[in-house]
Amino acid sequence: MVPEIGYFALVLAMALSLLLCIFPLWGAYTGNLRLMKAAPSLAVGQCILVVFSFLVLIYITLMDDFTVEYVAHHSSSTLPWYYKITSTWGGHEGAILLWLVMQSMWTMLVAVMSKSLPWVLRARVLGVLGFLGVGFMLYTLWMSSPFERLLPYFPVEGRDLNPLLQDPGMIIHPPLLYMGYVGLSVSFSFAIAALLTGKLDNTWAKWSRPWTMAAWGFLTLGITIGSWWAYSELGWGGWWFWDPVENASLMPWLVATALLHSLAVTEKRGVFKSWTVLLAITAFSLCLLGTFIVRSGIIVSVHAFATDPDRGLYILSFLAVVVGGSLALYAMRVAQVYSEGRYQFISREVALWINNIFLVVATLIVLLGTLLPMIHKELGLGSISIGVPFFNQMFAILIVPFAILLGLAPMLRWKQNKMPPLVKKWAVLIAVSLVLTATWLYSSYEVVAPLTFVATALAVWISVATAADLFNKVTVHPSVAIGFKKLGLSYWAMVLGHVGIAFVIASVTLTSAYSVERSVSMKPGETAKLNEYEYRFDGVKEIRGPNYGGHAGVVTVFKNGNKVVELYAEKRRYDIGMQFMTEAAIDDGFFRDLYLALGEPLSAGAWSLRIYHKPYVRWMWLGGLLISFAGFIVLADKRYRSRVKKSSQVEA
Amino acid sequence: MNRKLLGLVPFLIFIFLCVFLYQGLFGNPRELQTGRLGHTMPEFSLPDLMDSDKIWTADSLKGEVYLMNVWGTWCPTCIAELGYLTELRERGVKIIGLYYEQAYDPDFGDQFDINALRQDVNNMLSRAGNPYQFNILDLERTLALDLGVSGAPETFLVDKQGKILLHHTGDINERVWRTKFAAIYQELTQ
Repeated sequence: MVPEIGYFALVLAMALSLLLCIFPLWGAYTGNLRLMKAAPSLAVGQCILVVFSFLVLIYITLMDDFTVEYVAHHSSSTLPWYYKITSTWGGHEGAILLWLVMQSMWTMLVAVMSKSLPWVLRARVLGVLGFLGVGFMLYTLWMSSPFERLLPYFPVEGRDLNPLLQDPGMIIHPPLLYMGYVGLSVSFSFAIAALLTGKLDNTWAKWSRPWTMAAWGFLTLGITIGSWWAYSELGWGGWWFWDPVENASLMPWLVATALLHSLAVTEKRGVFKSWTVLLAITAFSLCLLGTFIVRSGIIVSVHAFATDPDRGLYILSFLAVVVGGSLALYAMRVAQVYSEGRYQFISREVALWINNIFLVVATLIVLLGTLLPMIHKELGLGSISIGVPFFNQMFAILIVPFAILLGLAPMLRWKQNKMPPLVKKWAVLIAVSLVLTATWLYSSYEVVAPLTFVATALAVWISVATAADLFNKVTVHPSVAIGFKKLGLSYWAMVLGHVGIAFVIASVTLTSAYSVERSVSMKPGETAKLNEYEYRFDGVKEIRGPNYGGHAGVVTVFKNGNKVVELYAEKRRYDIGMQFMTEAAIDDGFFRDLYLALGEPLSAGAWSLRIYHKPYVRWMWLGGLLISFAGFIVLADKRYRSRVKKSSQVEA
Repeated sequence: MNRKLLGLVPFLIFIFLCVFLYQGLFGNPRELQTGRLGHTMPEFSLPDLMDSDKIWTADSLKGEVYLMNVWGTWCPTCIAELGYLTELRERGVKIIGLYYEQAYDPDFGDQFDINALRQDVNNMLSRAGNPYQFNILDLERTLALDLGVSGAPETFLVDKQGKILLHHTGDINERVWRTKFAAIYQELTQ
């Protein structure tokens, strides 16, 4: 009975969504204010029902109701309670329901927080969000309900959650990623509403910007944690793999990053309007495309979820309607959009325009790399496989001009600049960066490859240029305290975001160049040396967890004869699926990670072990956190709320 | 007018993409992966790449769990995976190479210089790592055809009875190994 209540709540929610789609859009079209005013309450009601339905799913999972197919397939009675909750989004149906929860929450937030918007625009934004809600709810109810029963024959025990997903990272990774994905639907709805209204002025950009920032912040955080999860859970010491599923989340991120910068130009200078709208449509379209790739089985990936052509067909049709429709609308309206601002070649506008080009090219590379194998096959040209080397090479080429520009652009002013003083300043900063890089690298490493030097110098250059710009901005005022006060939160966001990128570049470079690893076979008591650390194998002990058993290799690490840490590298065998999992032992540090994975048992008590020394690897996630934080602090900027109020209610 | 046409470009690109996505949906990307799954290694009799007098057959491979890795020096992804495969070999995994020559086509009267190829292979393996116990030379690509190989690299996991348990397209790396091969391999060798 309980699962049916969850299903019924979803049916009701879908009814409200349908009304949320029809009423406000119709009202805005005919100028009927009463119809438009129905939107916020419909949005709130829809959200309450969807959240209720999700709580029902959590409840039946906690109650071990294995008559429900989803619970039987993704949970088990021995699973710890927090992983039971995780299991509600560990499979396809539950993940889609979680998507719905996020979608309806964003919709409700927009409904509640957009009071200062003119009714016509507000109604259209919510109507478009309602349409997206209908699409996903119909999909859930029709072909992927998590409430399907397995009656009359149901198992007494569930199949358990995939051990790969039984990790703290996995508890937070999907919700964050979805928050980002779905959040971009808000930017999308703002863009469509603006196109429908035909008013593409900079007020639209101003309203859309904080929402985009928030969504982008979540997306960044989701990707960062996903990468950290891959590193700590998969036991292969890597952090990014250019897998189609990873690419599916990177593409919207790249476009959303371009969108953020482009929105800033549109808001401040009234230019790039049609381009900004196109980016907003593209960012969310790529989220849908990513969902399609992951959920249709169209591409072979190590972690594609459900592979059902019917579901794929539905998502593709939805994609065709949403994306095709908005691009058609865009094509109809774009001719009427003119930019009124003027600017010269040496200006911040152009720098940001080039930044956008780079980000879009990067997206195209990822898109091509992901889809080309399939297109190639469909054209009858045979199978090809595009691997990691392709992406690494392309990105290595792109990052050089991009990072140089990233350091230069914040110093440029809008409209125009005089070159000579800038060139002098830049020359000094470049010299400082090169000296710092050389000091850093040659004091730590004997051999420095030219490419390593260049890439590290880029990271240093970004930091130095950002710091110099901050210094300049603070010191133009009579006192530093006033200078600091004058800097808006948006400026701080830029500083954080750019420094975060510098951290990521430095980390990727140094950890790729200087990671060392050794495969050893050791008997208890034997030691192995890697860099300045000595690893003593103290044997293997049995372990027993709630739903797994296995062994833990005990290894004591010494540096200069002093004990650093004792590590337990586990090899688990999960009871229900009988799957083996490697649980790497990691001693994390600001400058290096010691990473240890237990291999196979060999003869006479010896085990094979893999030891990794990974310098600066943690900077990657530190950088990711900084970048996502940049997305969040902008939300606290008063500028948005106060200015929006002044222009309110003009059109109602 | 120009602006209008330009605005249509994104829409047209999207339609183009949709056609392929639709075809891909029913193109069944997995069919090539399951071609010979569960079947035994097809009969063959092929020479060793380095020593033409030595002949390998399906029977001579039986009795051990091994990976058969289809590769060629012409294939960049194959070269990229050599390092990891070598690591696997050091961890005790037995890997047999099926050398897949792409350029040679006797119907066009191509001359084949086996010594140049051996030199080429030796250079490559000493540079990127040598994971192979030995390499089988499949000049006419008959065995590759029987196995349903459509490109390189591809890798088969074969058990002691010569049964093919896994067919992986694309390169093998730590993650693919952990998520796809490791559990099955461990079960077979324990």
